[in-house]
Amino acid sequence: MKKAKAPKPKYTWSTFGLQLIALVVALFFAFPLVIIVNNAFKTTRELAMNHPLSMPEQFNFNNFANAWKKLELGTAFANSFIYTGVSVVIIAFVCTITAWAIARGQSRFFRFSRVYFLIGILIPAQALCLPIYLLWNRMGLTNSKLGLIALYVSTGLSFGIFLQTNFMKTVPIDIEEAACIDGCNVYQTFFSVVLPLLKAPMATLIITQSFSVWNDYMLANLMIQSKFKRTVIIAMKTLFSTTTSDYATAMAAIILSATPIIVLFVALQKQFIKGMTIGAVKG
Amino acid sequence: MNKNLSYQRRMRLQYASLMVPALVLFTVGLIVPIIMCFYFSLFSWDGFAAEKVFLGLGNYTQIVHDEYVMGTWKFTILFAVMNSIIADVGALLLAVLLDSAIRARTLHRTLVFIPCLFSSIVTGFVWKKIYSVVLPGIVESLGLKIYTQLFGSPNTVMAGLTIANCWQWIGLWMMIYLAALQSISPEYYEAARVDGANAVQRFFHVTVPMLMPAIITCTVGLTTGALKTYDILVTATEGGPGRSSNTIVYYTFNAAFKLKQYGYGSAMSVSLIIMLLIVAVVQLKLFSKKEVQL
Repeated sequence: MKKAKAPKPKYTWSTFGLQLIALVVALFFAFPLVIIVNNAFKTTRELAMNHPLSMPEQFNFNNFANAWKKLELGTAFANSFIYTGVSVVIIAFVCTITAWAIARGQSRFFRFSRVYFLIGILIPAQALCLPIYLLWNRMGLTNSKLGLIALYVSTGLSFGIFLQTNFMKTVPIDIEEAACIDGCNVYQTFFSVVLPLLKAPMATLIITQSFSVWNDYMLANLMIQSKFKRTVIIAMKTLFSTTTSDYATAMAAIILSATPIIVLFVALQKQFIKGMTIGAVKG
Repeated sequence: MNKNLSYQRRMRLQYASLMVPALVLFTVGLIVPIIMCFYFSLFSWDGFAAEKVFLGLGNYTQIVHDEYVMGTWKFTILFAVMNSIIADVGALLLAVLLDSAIRARTLHRTLVFIPCLFSSIVTGFVWKKIYSVVLPGIVESLGLKIYTQLFGSPNTVMAGLTIANCWQWIGLWMMIYLAALQSISPEYYEAARVDGANAVQRFFHVTVPMLMPAIITCTVGLTTGALKTYDILVTATEGGPGRSSNTIVYYTFNAAFKLKQYGYGSAMSVSLIIMLLIVAVVQLKLFSKKEVQL
């Protein structure tokens, strides 16, 4: 994989042209981010009176405190952490053992299973919100934390298994065979030999799934009615739907809601990019 | 020989047992709902009454004759085509641009990537404010008269949503292309240069063919992603103005949970499922042909 470091190419006039294009692109992508941060510090009066691009008159965190109190973000953050944490750990574990079984078990059943799980990538849960709601309702799983976690796990499996089976192809089978030359069973092999090798792709899976579970609106909105069980995203939506002119609080809430995900990404950036390379590209 | 065979069978059973949790969860959470969807689509039902009225394919003929549903389909397909093409080409070009010799590459990459860390309902809300408050302010102070309220008119709502959607997702797919670019050996470019290929020729004859696996992943992902659009509409347009920006998922959600047309909504879901499968199969077929030719 690693290639020798190429000498740095010269900075020519055409590079300068590319630099200008890159600058314009960066400005386009940064513009909404600047608007979010800028408005999050403004007062309602400034929003109404001042130019939309003007700087806030003073940096105070009133909007953040307001958002926290109004939306009861303490509860919402606790809920979001539980939903995301539990479902993502389950997804990572279940997908890894399943992908390993698919890669090592050699019969028609396992080849069929691989295709069977792919259905979930082609048909997303969004197309099935209605029957899923009826089914969960019948099982008494609507408006319940367990029900929402089960839903996130079942809808996250396909992508995870797809990613992990692609990675499995790069794991040599020799080590497993050597370890189990005297016929230990599959479970011992998995936990003592395979699992330690798979820490990196599991980290990738944990990050990608955390993004989608944390930021999900549709499924949480479908399942959860109680104020005490709602997620940060659902709570934040109440600020978006009102037609009040005080959207500074909403902008502050946006920053608060995205902070855990941004921290997670910054912390695990290297792992994430490495995993994307192996999982998505070598498919 | 015999002993060996039974050993293999035992191993296979053990491997199969590892798959039980995933098979159960996946079947209950996805396959059963798909079957239910097909079943409900044959009835007229409000979701609560004990009596379902059997219609056969009645819901489907009604869909074909329903002007609104056809308008919704038109919007959904056009939105998916526009978004997958613009975001796919954009992500690929950005990956090549941010892989070139320019300065501050990491900063540029990070800026392009950050939007996909937000929830889609945030994207919808922020761009609504940009179109309705920020841009009018800028246009006014420049003394110009340009119409910026893209979500306010049925003619521009598609453009407005496409800009917002691409802003959010291009970064994610760009990362995949960037990762794939790293795996192309520089020798290929060297060889092409020796043969006298210019930058554009090198892009089309080295970069694009070498990136084919990544292009397949991204194109299929982008198209299915756009076809299932829902979250961004909730805060950006609520399907409006009028009914001009309804996607199938958005319309189905309303038909089911606001209008209590469970049977009709299910029939629309089924049509979406069929559409998604056709698109995926066609794209995979098209691309795999391209790959063989290399």
